[in-house]
Amino acid sequence: MTTKRILVIDDEPSVTRNLKLNLESGGGYEVLGENRARNALAAARKFQPDLILLDVMMPDLGGDDVAARLRADPLIHNTPIVFLTAIVSNKETDGHEATIGGELFLAKPVDMGELRKTLEQHTRN
Amino acid sequence: MNSESASAFTLEAVDHFQGFRLLRTIKAWPPSLATTVLIGLMAIVGLVDYLTGLELSVSLLYLIPIALGVWTGGRATGYTVALASAAVWFAADWLGRQSYGHWYLPVWNTMALTVSFLVVAALLASLCEVNENLERAVAHRTRALQDEIAQRCRAEGELNQALREVREAHAELQRTQFQLIESAKMESVARLAAGVAHEVKNPLMTLSLGADYFLARKLDNDDETQLAQDMKEAVKRASSVINILLDYSRIRPPQLSLDNLSLAVENSLILVRHELNRQRITVIREFAPDLPLVQLDRARIEHLFVNLFINALQAMSPGGTLTIRAFASDIVEDAADQAVTVELDDTGHGINPQNAEKLFEPFFTTKPPGQGTGLGLAIVRRIMEIHGGTVRLTNRPDGRGARVTLQFHSKFEGK
Repeated sequence: MTTKRILVIDDEPSVTRNLKLNLESGGGYEVLGENRARNALAAARKFQPDLILLDVMMPDLGGDDVAARLRADPLIHNTPIVFLTAIVSNKETDGHEATIGGELFLAKPVDMGELRKTLEQHTRN
Repeated sequence: MNSESASAFTLEAVDHFQGFRLLRTIKAWPPSLATTVLIGLMAIVGLVDYLTGLELSVSLLYLIPIALGVWTGGRATGYTVALASAAVWFAADWLGRQSYGHWYLPVWNTMALTVSFLVVAALLASLCEVNENLERAVAHRTRALQDEIAQRCRAEGELNQALREVREAHAELQRTQFQLIESAKMESVARLAAGVAHEVKNPLMTLSLGADYFLARKLDNDDETQLAQDMKEAVKRASSVINILLDYSRIRPPQLSLDNLSLAVENSLILVRHELNRQRITVIREFAPDLPLVQLDRARIEHLFVNLFINALQAMSPGGTLTIRAFASDIVEDAADQAVTVELDDTGHGINPQNAEKLFEPFFTTKPPGQGTGLGLAIVRRIMEIHGGTVRLTNRPDGRGARVTLQFHSKFEGK
């Protein structure tokens, strides 16, 4: 089974740490956490992820700006991005991933079962 | 009766009671009829004079055709009739072969009578002219008064219209002010909600991921597994409070479509049926059969009813009764519109009337700590606002619980 690389960009170290712990302990994923939004592009270029989990609200740079930079990069622009946000209610996403304005969203706090389903479905092959 | 018609009525009454109508009718005779009558009258008076001779002095009767002549034809006709009457008198006198002591007596009598008739005609003509001038002045003044009254009526109408417009503008201003206050409040709540969501949900996510990690590791015993599951549940509950706040603050345009309120009520009842059964609550439906369709955002209206049903359930003891009434009524101000009212009566403890308005404010709750977010009724009011409707919470008239009254408008098409 191939290991998928997931880049988690979130300003909360506890979130990136726990996501890494959960996904890697279950097998099949290699996770890199990045807590500084401004370093996201460099981290993505270096790590070459198969999917990026990106927090929307971060203090130094918003998730939308980070996404714009990632998509402008020729090496990263095809990498799927799933946004993680606290300001979308679970009802709006119906507990699952949701598409808002053409973007994929998962509402925080994320359920690991749902996250795994989303990763399986959208991770680049 | 307005002032214009009142003045017309008064003038007509004066006309009638002073006998002016007959005189006006005579004055309006055509000249041929007037001439015929005048000649006829002079002939009759002359004949009477001839037949009676000196035994009965009827000279004064000649004044009748003279007066009539003046009245129907004016001064010139009056003089003509006066001269003609004098001639008729002389003819009657001469034909009657009256005997006078001296020759000049009949000449003198004729001259005296002619002058008298002319003087009478002149006096009557002057009176008529004075009367006509007076009537013209009265008519002129009446027209002026009527114009003035009409002008005042118009001014009054314009003033009333202006007053109505000012009142409408004032009401609109109040509505706008209310909406501005509401939107300012909503903006604050939205900012607060986003801030709270960000600050609380990130730690919740850490807790949730931690619990997920332990659950995935096949814990040593059931107690530990249960502990991790309880942690997940606690995270879910805390998260749902934040979600309610987010949903409340979210300003999304409603998805309106013509829909049946009673169907929305039925669907919402299905969502709370387990709780209804658990508490042995009897549900009585009194839906009018001809309920008009209204523009509804079905998801939000069902959310509204579920909130209200849950409130009623929490207020009632087991075995209570929930009565749901829906009926339509006409709106006086707008014949094309109809109010569709839904009343929910519970058999709970009722409300403190002092809190009736506060209950719709965000975060106000009378429930024990931990049992209510204080957003349920605020959400209900917000949903009614986006439907152009109103919500009221009162005690039932029979004092056996609380009543929620929702009023929708059949004409509402969104704003």
